[in-house]
Amino acid sequence: MSKQFDFRQELITIIPNLRAFATSLTGSFDRADDLVQETLVKAWDKQHTFQPGTNMKAWLFTILRNEFYTQMRKKGREVQDVDGIHAMQLAGHPEQQGHLDLQDFRKALELLPDDQREALILIGASGFSYEEAAEICKCAVGTIKSRVSRARTRIAEILGVEGDGDYGPDSISSQIIGVAPAA
Amino acid sequence: MSDREKEDRNVQTGQAAKSLQPAPGLGINAAIGRQLKAYYDDVASEPVPDRFLSLLDALDKAESASKSNNRE
Repeated sequence: MSKQFDFRQELITIIPNLRAFATSLTGSFDRADDLVQETLVKAWDKQHTFQPGTNMKAWLFTILRNEFYTQMRKKGREVQDVDGIHAMQLAGHPEQQGHLDLQDFRKALELLPDDQREALILIGASGFSYEEAAEICKCAVGTIKSRVSRARTRIAEILGVEGDGDYGPDSISSQIIGVAPAA
Repeated sequence: MSDREKEDRNVQTGQAAKSLQPAPGLGINAAIGRQLKAYYDDVASEPVPDRFLSLLDALDKAESASKSNNRE
């Protein structure tokens, strides 16, 4: 009885994170909330498989991610061949060097391959460790690390702010992102 | 707003526009880290929409109902 109540409360505290992750996956607020809704129903149905004391946030992220990719496979993924063109349009504004506008950032994030974007979000925003992210994405820890690294490089390229050389060693920021700067 | 104006505002307001610019010595990766958090928290800081609370209530009720049915 009280166990179910706790499960529900725990679910509620994690919903904001699920919505943010879903938004990054779908690129749409509406689709994100539909995805969260389906995730909550799934999670409720299989709550007996959740082991109390383990990481419920990671458990829910895994369900949400599985649900997302299942839907994508069903629908067939729209091919993003605009990638290069869009990137060209966004890049090359020298007056923006050193500035990162949130709108531009959003666009740059959308241009990333799915696997790189989700790795960057899980590590850089959701607060998961590399081990947890690897578990969620069902891949090796090293794979997550390299995806995050490539994602950061790619975003810098898209935004035309390849500035590491200008700013010197990037030790503090690499702590923030949680990975050593790419060699 | 032009960059020039941004710079002016920076001088006047100190940290106001700091989040949009890499501080000297931090570099682009720090700026990406901050934007990533801003992008994420834009959604994550919103209150939980009612539709989800209603959904959980409905799931809860459906479950209690089926349990009491089973007992009878």
